[in-house]
This record gives sequence, C-alpha cells and structure tokens, in this order.
Amino acid sequence: MTAPLLETRGVWQRFGGLVANSDVSISVGRGEIVGLIGPNGAGKSTLFNLIAGVLPPTQGSIWFDGEDVTALPAAERCVRGIGRTFQVVKSFETMSVIDNVIVGSLVRNTVMRVARRKAHQVLEFCGLAARANVLASNLIPSEKRRLEVARALATEPKLLLLDEVLTGLTPIEAQTGVELVRRVRATGVTVLMVEHVMEIVMPLVDRAIVLDLGKVLVEGKPADVVRDPKVITAYLGDRHAVGA
Amino acid sequence: MDTDFAKRRRRDLITAFCLAVVAALVPLFVKDVYVQNIMVLTLMYAALSQSWNILSGYCGQISLGHALYFGLGAYTTAILFTKFGVLPWFGMIGGGLISAAIAMALGYPCFRLRGHYFVIATIVIAEIALLLIQNWDWAGAALGINIPVRGDSWLKFQFTRSKLPYFYFALGLACVAWFVTWWLEDSKWGFWWRAVKDNPDAAESLGVVVFNSKMGAAAVSAFLTAVGGGFYAQFVSYIDPESVMAFQFSLLMALPAVLGGIGTLWGPMLGAVILIPLTELTRSFIGGSGRGVDLIVYGGLIVAISLARPQGLVGLFSPKRKEAVR
Repeated sequence: MTAPLLETRGVWQRFGGLVANSDVSISVGRGEIVGLIGPNGAGKSTLFNLIAGVLPPTQGSIWFDGEDVTALPAAERCVRGIGRTFQVVKSFETMSVIDNVIVGSLVRNTVMRVARRKAHQVLEFCGLAARANVLASNLIPSEKRRLEVARALATEPKLLLLDEVLTGLTPIEAQTGVELVRRVRATGVTVLMVEHVMEIVMPLVDRAIVLDLGKVLVEGKPADVVRDPKVITAYLGDRHAVGA
Repeated sequence: MDTDFAKRRRRDLITAFCLAVVAALVPLFVKDVYVQNIMVLTLMYAALSQSWNILSGYCGQISLGHALYFGLGAYTTAILFTKFGVLPWFGMIGGGLISAAIAMALGYPCFRLRGHYFVIATIVIAEIALLLIQNWDWAGAALGINIPVRGDSWLKFQFTRSKLPYFYFALGLACVAWFVTWWLEDSKWGFWWRAVKDNPDAAESLGVVVFNSKMGAAAVSAFLTAVGGGFYAQFVSYIDPESVMAFQFSLLMALPAVLGGIGTLWGPMLGAVILIPLTELTRSFIGGSGRGVDLIVYGGLIVAISLARPQGLVGLFSPKRKEAVR
C-alpha cells in the first residue's frame, strides 16, 4: 500500500480554553475525494487551516507527500502542492479575473507569457473564460466561488482543499460545482472538501470523515456514514438517533 | 485576449515615448527660467510620486514617511560631494542603495503592522530621522550643507547658468521611474504586490511570500526616491533638514498619485502635472502671506476627486474599462 498524500498525526489545536481539534488523525490517499463533514463548530475549518498552514497546530504533526510540513508557512505549502479555497471568498477585488488566476499560476511559471497562457487554460476549465477581463469585484457570488477554485488550480496542486465551495449556491449552481470537482479529480488532483450540506457531498465523495466537537467521530463510505447513529445524533440530537 | 493585453502594453509604451519626446522639445519654446523651474519640479515630483506608488499604490503599504528616503538621497549626495569629493552620480546611486537598505531594515519590524498602524510608523520614523539629522553636527545639523560651486559640468552635475540640464535629468528620471513601473507591472513582482494589497491571506495561500513582496517593493521605491533626493540637492545646491526631510515632502510624493490614480501606471504622472504647477503658481501669486494656500488647494482637489472619481483622474481616460466591468 502506498503512503497517503496527506496525513495528520494526533493534531491538537487550542484557542485559549477552547479545544477546536483534539487528537485528530486523518489521512487522504492519492486520487481520492474525501469529504470532511460535521455540524457547525465541529472544528472542520480549523483543521483545514492547520493543513493549509495558516497557523501551526498546538500539538501533533502534518505530513504531506512523505514529508513533515508542520513547520512550513502557507506559501511554502502551496509550493509543495497544497492548494486551497476560502469559505468566505477572498478574491483580489481590484484585479481582473485573469490577473487573479495569474497570481496562482506564477508559482509554477516564472515566464509571464507562460503563466498567462496557463491561467487562461484554467479559466477555460472552470467555465470562467468569458469573464476573464472583468474585475473580480464585479462577479456574482457563484462565479467568485469558481474563481477561488480556478486560482487554487492554477498553482497546480497535488491536493486541493475546498472549503464549503458548494454551500449557499442554487441547486443548478451546486450541480455545476459538483461536476467541476469531478473533473478536477479526473485530472489527477486529490480533493479534500469541507461541507456541511450532506446531500450535496455524499454522492460526490469516495470517503467521508465526520468531525464532531473537535474529534473524528466516524470515518467511512458515505452510505455507511449517513446511516451511522452517532452521526445522526451529532447532527439532529438523541431523539432522532433512537428512531434510526 | 492575450493580444489585447499585449496591445495595451505596447500602446502605453508608445504613448510614454511620444510624451517624453514632446516634453524634451518644450524647453526649445519655453525660455522663461521661472517656468522652466516649475517644469523641473513637476518632472521630479512625477518621478518621486511614481516611486512612492510602487510601495503604496501597487503593494498597498501606504507610506507617509518617504521624505526620509528623499532626505537620505539628498544628504548622501551632498556629504559625499562636499566632504569626499565623490561625484554626485555616484552619490545618487550610493544614496539609493543606502535608502534601499534602510527601507528593508525598517520594513523588517514595520511590515508586521497592518493598515493605519503601518502608516503611523512611517510618519514617526521619518520624524525621528529628521530630528537626528537636525542634531548631527558632522552633517551640518540644522544649518545644513552648502554645496560648493565647482564650475558647470555634466561630470560634477552642476549647472549655474542654465536650468536645462536639470530639466533633462529630471525628465530622464521620470522616464526611468515610469519605465520601471511599466516593466514591473507585468512581472511576478507586480502581480505579487497587487495580490498582497488586495488580500494578503489569499496571496499567501497562492504561494506569495507576503513579507518578501513588501520588502522588495520598499527597496525599489526607496532607491528611486533617494535618487530623486540626490538630484534635488544638486538642483538647489543648498540643503538643510527642513528643506529635504520635512513631512510636507512625504505628502507631496503621495498626493499626485492619489489625485491621478493610486496604483495605476499613469496616475502619478497625471497628478504631478496638475498639482505641482498649481502649487508653485498659488505660492508665487499669493506670496509670502499665503503660506499654506497651496495645501488648501490640494485638500480641495482631493475632496473633489474622492467624491467624483474615487479611483483617481486616470479613471476619466478609460471608458473602455468601465464597459468591461459591466
């Protein structure tokens, strides 16, 4: 068995008295789409930020592609091959859509002409080609989400971290998003996605990891996970668990 | 799309070249020394504002302490020339290098500050430097330095009989500052800077080393500003701390860019062409009693601009961009 692409080993994150992640050990294999789910406040976004390198974990280590990356800052992790999107979109508002994506593609291409061509390809892939010369601030919300994905893809990641890219979209937009994630995986990129809308992610992911109160609650095939009484309890409370 | 972009870049370059040629011809028709003096100052501030724009406009780190680098350039050039006989050409380069080094040394702690805190730090540091120079006897203290006249020559960069050589140097400096900006705009650094300005967290996630980006912008900006300072020392041939390092210089570098369009290629040029003649003219027409009237005019202009065209005057010239936005 080959080593997983991403592994967190006994990761803890404390914010003062609050424990956001306690002893979280998960792994993501190459080529997988893994869903990280859980109710609000479960610690999903914190774990995400730890993997992306926004802040160092209080304890534990993060391994990526066979290396310990715990001490590396976010920019360096991007160079190693971790791309991410933000839950609250963070476009470069005064820059055009294409320029936003070029910032990402410059990680792998130092020649401007090549970086620009690459950025156009990524926009094409994400269905934003028609909006290339529009200012990012003038995009509609669903387009901004796609721009987040495009920018991250332009860095040619091995692992793409998607933070609630499908949340808050209309059903049709969400369906387009699901298609996009499938196509991303088809190009060989591993995907770890945070969502809390289960019905969207479950058909998409190969494996689901459920976090609750900062701990890994259940891990497994989506179909099994949704039937797990512990998961139903976490989402809906004890009364519903009895019925299941 | 690629070609549209390349076309725009080429158009900018050709426009700049034509404007430079036209500007170079102006002194053939304008012989009035007073007007020539205003033209020299206008070009100098265009160059300075363009340099300021690199750090503050593109990279978004608003500095109101650029008088420090201006003063460092002026003092380095003047001291090297008067005390060691070093030619001003080397003095300007030396001043530029010293300023760039100091900008990075100051940036090391200051770039951890964000927004208003950073701005305040730049003001305070420039004021401290002003006080230090005022009390540094070897550097002339509050009395300043008188640059001795050693005869007109390009080698010594001194001209007592004509303003024209200064005019052409200032024009060259403005062209260099513009060209550096033009070149950086479509480079990795240019993209990194704009990304850092818009959203440092997102930039970091895309592999941009935010801290290094700011340091790079500060070094380039400080270098060019200091060369301008060295030029100014030669131009006025007498400097004292108040006349090269006062807070007002920091403002005079920032305002043209703000008026013309901050973080744009043409903004500082346009702003300087409007603002500097206006300052000089109000100053001379209203005379000694009107001290500060020029600043009132500035204030009024800035208010008018921020109400009518928050993106600066450059916005008036790009209706096409507006269409694309829709």
